[in-house]
Amino acid sequence: MRKGSLWGSDKMDTVKIYTNIIKDNMDRLEKVNKLINLGLTTAYYYVSFFKDRRIPKSLHYLNKYSIKSIKDSLANPQNSAWVNLFAPSEFLIAVDIKPLFIEAYSSFMSGFFIEDYLIDTAESRGMSNTLCSYHKTFIGASELNILKKPKFMMTTSTICDANIPTFKYLSKKHGVPLYIIDIPYKYSKDAVVYVKKQLLEVAEKLGEVFNRKLDTDKLREAVKTENKTRALMREYLNYAGEKRFIPTMTFEMYMLFASHVFIGSKEVLHFYDMLVEDIKRAPERSGKSIFFIHLLPIFEKNFKDYFNFSDKFHIAGSDLNYDFLDEIDENDPFKGIAEKLILNSFNGEINRKVARIKELIEKIKPDGIIQFCHLGCKQSMGGTFIIKNLASELGIPFLYLDGDCVDKRNNQEGQNRTRLEAFLEML
Amino acid sequence: MIGYICKYTPVEIIEAFGEEPVRLDPGYKSHERAEALIHSNICSFAKGVLENIIENNIEEVILTACCDSIRRLYDVLIDKVKFIYLLDLPRKKDPLAINLFYNEIIEFIEAYQAFKNKNFAEENLLKIVESKFFNKEKYTESIAILGARLKDDVIEKIINSCTASVINFTCTGEERVFNIEARDNLLKSYAESLLNLTPCMRMAEDRSKLINKEFKGIIYNTIKFCDFYSYEYAELKSKTDLPLLKIETDYNDSNSGQILTRIDAFLESTGIKKMEKQKAKKGYFVGVDSGSTSTNVVIIDENKNIISYSIIPTGPKALESAYKAFEIALNSAGLQEKDITSVVATGYGRISIPFADRIVTELTCHGKGAFFIDNTVRTVIDIGGQDSKVIRLDDSGNVIDFVMNDKCSAGTGRFLEVMARTLGISIEEMAKVHKEVKENITITSMCTVFAESEVISLIAQNKDQRDIIHALNKAVASKAVSLVDRIGRKGKYMMTGGVAKNQGVVYAIESRLGEKLIIPFEPQIIGALGAALISLEGK
Repeated sequence: MRKGSLWGSDKMDTVKIYTNIIKDNMDRLEKVNKLINLGLTTAYYYVSFFKDRRIPKSLHYLNKYSIKSIKDSLANPQNSAWVNLFAPSEFLIAVDIKPLFIEAYSSFMSGFFIEDYLIDTAESRGMSNTLCSYHKTFIGASELNILKKPKFMMTTSTICDANIPTFKYLSKKHGVPLYIIDIPYKYSKDAVVYVKKQLLEVAEKLGEVFNRKLDTDKLREAVKTENKTRALMREYLNYAGEKRFIPTMTFEMYMLFASHVFIGSKEVLHFYDMLVEDIKRAPERSGKSIFFIHLLPIFEKNFKDYFNFSDKFHIAGSDLNYDFLDEIDENDPFKGIAEKLILNSFNGEINRKVARIKELIEKIKPDGIIQFCHLGCKQSMGGTFIIKNLASELGIPFLYLDGDCVDKRNNQEGQNRTRLEAFLEML
Repeated sequence: MIGYICKYTPVEIIEAFGEEPVRLDPGYKSHERAEALIHSNICSFAKGVLENIIENNIEEVILTACCDSIRRLYDVLIDKVKFIYLLDLPRKKDPLAINLFYNEIIEFIEAYQAFKNKNFAEENLLKIVESKFFNKEKYTESIAILGARLKDDVIEKIINSCTASVINFTCTGEERVFNIEARDNLLKSYAESLLNLTPCMRMAEDRSKLINKEFKGIIYNTIKFCDFYSYEYAELKSKTDLPLLKIETDYNDSNSGQILTRIDAFLESTGIKKMEKQKAKKGYFVGVDSGSTSTNVVIIDENKNIISYSIIPTGPKALESAYKAFEIALNSAGLQEKDITSVVATGYGRISIPFADRIVTELTCHGKGAFFIDNTVRTVIDIGGQDSKVIRLDDSGNVIDFVMNDKCSAGTGRFLEVMARTLGISIEEMAKVHKEVKENITITSMCTVFAESEVISLIAQNKDQRDIIHALNKAVASKAVSLVDRIGRKGKYMMTGGVAKNQGVVYAIESRLGEKLIIPFEPQIIGALGAALISLEGK
């Protein structure tokens, strides 16, 4: 049995007992809230006290930071906002509001093995069974009032269809103000003006809802920190091709906390600082390395068996963590953030995304590329064959597998095992 | 011609070029060519459009950046057609958004001019737009079709079979109204009018204003893998008092018998179905339920006494079985065909029964039959061979709501049959109740095919057969109760259909509902009984 991964098989029985207690109490809200809080607290102390030596310091810090951020926003809904992964966090940092992003919450619920119950709840209320399970899990929790309503919600239209309707639905249901930031698909001067105006409205709305005025200097400060962070991110990428570093899939996914929702914070800057130091000291690359497109299936058994703490195969990165690598205009942070949102490599024609993946592949030089097509994620799987063409142009083996990153019932383990093994044998 | 799909497409601009815009409306059974180019789990409408473009060699296409599937469709098509343009479409409609859209339209015009080597003339556009001036009719009685795009032929069928007017709010139904006031900037006003069309779900605008309390009912369409619309359905479901029917299709199959049955039953239950009224007559009355698994016939007399009934397997030829079942029932009643006053047919095979005087959907018939047997019933759970349904009755026995399972066989009689075969036991053996369970196993997959492999692996793990059966019964019960939950719980419950004879399933449902089920003396004939009653009452 392996140690260290919080959701590793040695903890499985404890987690299962915990899961069953939660499920048995679903009709007692207060109790479920306490149980989820207890789960998060336990997870937090677990990673704090049982340091796994195989996990670099920076990632250990990230692990704690991510759990704490979820705990903080759940514990204090009045000072919290529900957001999507792409929402401009700089504004929340500037007014000191704790974001809860729905993708992270749903992942944690899957970690607690209660995603099935929450998804079934969302479906029984009328949600489509083909809707993305990140969204269904969150909606389910909100339907059951396990999630206490926040004071504000903010979403961008990027990168997928589900954002706007999910937030509209939740905002109406709870009577919580929502700001939708519509991000044009194409970049133009007018598009920047359009988004900038919306961002000015975001600032105003935040001021109204939380009764505190957004200080542009604070926003600029966040952007400056963000630019410094991105410089470190680029530096990290310079080593990613030579070192073996990421020990489990979960860490590559935890990095989304740092590369998206909390970027601009001092803590994230600190994390990337440590990260660069850690990767410099990491061992030279050995075994085979895999680059992931979009998401990593952190709960899929085959992938866990093959990639977590493996000597043979290791995770070389994923394009979602590097969807924007440029500097933001510090003089006009509203305009700068608007540009960042429009120019995200997941927004716009697929050529933009393909160019970014190519750039990353050339830098990281992986032995293979895997796209795990998360059920219902059409923006991603719709481009699978185009990415496959890119991989074959670059002469790198490519595999795509279908499954679900949250709802474990949608993973056909037997089928996927054969395919994954055959692919890994091929490398 | 230039193919398009979205109602926000500047169709009038294409017409002003003297070109023909054609709204693509695919209806393919297979997407062989499309699936070679795009992942198969993308929405079937997008796949259908791709198939259509390739099969018919469509050379010019204009798309909007409306949804994930269509955006990726554009990426796939880019080097496969001669001209393609993706029009960015803002989700808001403030002056900056209008400006953005206006610029997009201008860029499209420039691109199309260059491609066609033709000039665009604003005066042509003005003429076209003015000719499309639209007088808003006042609807007296209407039903609304909301949700994801519904195919033209289905809309047509609804219009033809209902007495109310039909308002199609989906992407296929837009009346193009233009309110061009500022003639000095025609294109900008045009862009603004387009953004002011009835908002689709992708737009930021609130759509609740579309719902009019005067509607006789709402047919809500959702398409598999189209994320947008289930939210609005969920909201409507909990808020509206209007009769509401949800249909889920994969777009291409929306014209199927199953969908049309639901729509017909809905129109029947809301009282706007076109039908001839008949007067009740004397004699004997027959109901024929031509189901996918069994064909059942009931004969009643004018006092609603059941004279005889028959149940036979449908087999490959529905019509032959109907004749045979009819004959058996006549024989056991000692009657001849001439003694019969009228025949009502129901079930999947109802349209192909030549001796029927009328056809009525099985939903109405099951409701009728169940209420006749026991008028305290408010919810009928019918699990047949191929489908399952839950029907809600009001205090007078009228069908006021219903849900049916999706088109797969999950949770139906067929599911149990397949599992019995896998376990190597008879369906009767399977139906026995084993109250003592050694191990509480849960079958996670509801799909018949996947559940079968799960059962095989349970057998391989040497699990007790009784425990596996218990798990399967629980699986069927959970599917049935989730259908009940979709229309809300309300007792008393009656269970009908062949699966009602399976005591294990009955117990499993009862324990989930926390209430006893009423099981009629012969659960398989309730649909046919209802048909016979309708035959007698003429309504």
